[in-house]
Amino acid sequence: MAESPSNKKVANSLVALSSAVVLAVYAAGYARTRTAAAKFETQTAERRPAAPIPAPVASPVSEPHIAELQRTPLPPPKTEKPKPIATIEEPPLEPAPVVETAPAPEPPPPPPAPPPPAPTWKDGTYTGWGTSRHGDIQAQVVIESGRIASTTIAQCLTRYSCSVIEKLPPEVAQRQSPEVDYVSGATQSANAFYYAVVEALNKAK
Amino acid sequence: MGTIVSIEVVHPHADAAIERAFAWFREIEARCTRFNQSSELMQLVAQPGVPIPASRILFEAVRFSLIAAEATEGAFDPTTAGHFKDLVLDPEQNTITLNRQITLDLGAVAKGLAVDAAARELEPFEHFAIDAGGDLYLGGLNPNAEPWTVGIRHPRRDREVVHTLRVSNQAVCTSGDYERGHHIQDPRTGKPAHSVASATVIAPSAMLADALATAAFVLGPDEGILLLHRMGVEGLIFTPDLHLSETRGLPRVA
Repeated sequence: MAESPSNKKVANSLVALSSAVVLAVYAAGYARTRTAAAKFETQTAERRPAAPIPAPVASPVSEPHIAELQRTPLPPPKTEKPKPIATIEEPPLEPAPVVETAPAPEPPPPPPAPPPPAPTWKDGTYTGWGTSRHGDIQAQVVIESGRIASTTIAQCLTRYSCSVIEKLPPEVAQRQSPEVDYVSGATQSANAFYYAVVEALNKAK
Repeated sequence: MGTIVSIEVVHPHADAAIERAFAWFREIEARCTRFNQSSELMQLVAQPGVPIPASRILFEAVRFSLIAAEATEGAFDPTTAGHFKDLVLDPEQNTITLNRQITLDLGAVAKGLAVDAAARELEPFEHFAIDAGGDLYLGGLNPNAEPWTVGIRHPRRDREVVHTLRVSNQAVCTSGDYERGHHIQDPRTGKPAHSVASATVIAPSAMLADALATAAFVLGPDEGILLLHRMGVEGLIFTPDLHLSETRGLPRVA
């Protein structure tokens, strides 16, 4: 691609332009969007609802045999919201020291709400289902001494192999929480896994 | 958009804002979808030759698309066939004129714009994540008070996450041939683009990340990386034979 000066000028302004466009749209639509929100029906799945709401909408493209599986909706409990337990003497999540290339915002203000006491779960082995438009995932969670000892994907009924999210199950035990990372290109599977773990943990309460 | 949207806010009382954020997706999709003949976009496309008054959303989405098309010399092109110069905007009157009958696909830009508007809505909470079918925006820090981690899947071996990015206040978008089955066309030639398996872009806005990921996909690994450097954004590109090219400042975890 040739680099003409005028082309370069356009290029340099593209980042700024995108911000200006977002602001213009936001400013013009703010009031209308508020109204729309008042009437908003939950058509879209909310991955981590802040309050118990109906389960994430099952995909219209779900396979019939998958849709027949009995599953309960899973409003994650409110206590999951501010993440209380993630810092308890866990080894660092990443094996290597975090590279300092990440944009460093100001001193990280923690979520404002005071962290509730760490949840403990009843010992045992629990399973839960999570759903996505690409299919469903069953997670198995083992609780020992009130803590998550291990998590596995018990059944993978998604269109794509669950190997794409195989790094997620260990994160649950590491973090003592269902809040696993996002996987670009496999967000549906990651969400289904999240829901499955939330449902399993709800049974362990 | 045919996409499931999920939003996470690291704050216990964000329900109302999350609803408003979702409302942006509905509002923007309603105006910009190609799949409803009565949408504002399709009304516009149905009336070539005359200036059509446009809403702020449609006007700005088209405006951004056109400038992105110019900046990428047509590698990204909302008309999908090199006709973007036949779209004329009048910022005084807020009208759009199609000089001829053309296809207008705002899908990627509209989805990105919705993510960005939702991000703006959630800005007061500072720490949040929006995922619209792989168009991600990660605000602030995750619940562990670290930059959000985003895995990039291997374009061929779906068992593998090839890169883990650390991202804060940035959008991440991937264009992959595995998603749309090799159907990304080079709008300059009308032929399928073959030289890239997946292109991921990290940018300040999802709209920009999506447009540049599409452009980089079409341009191929060398010109694609050059484009991203010129635009001042980071990214990585896999070729079908799995050669990886990346920008210099890619913020990944070691």
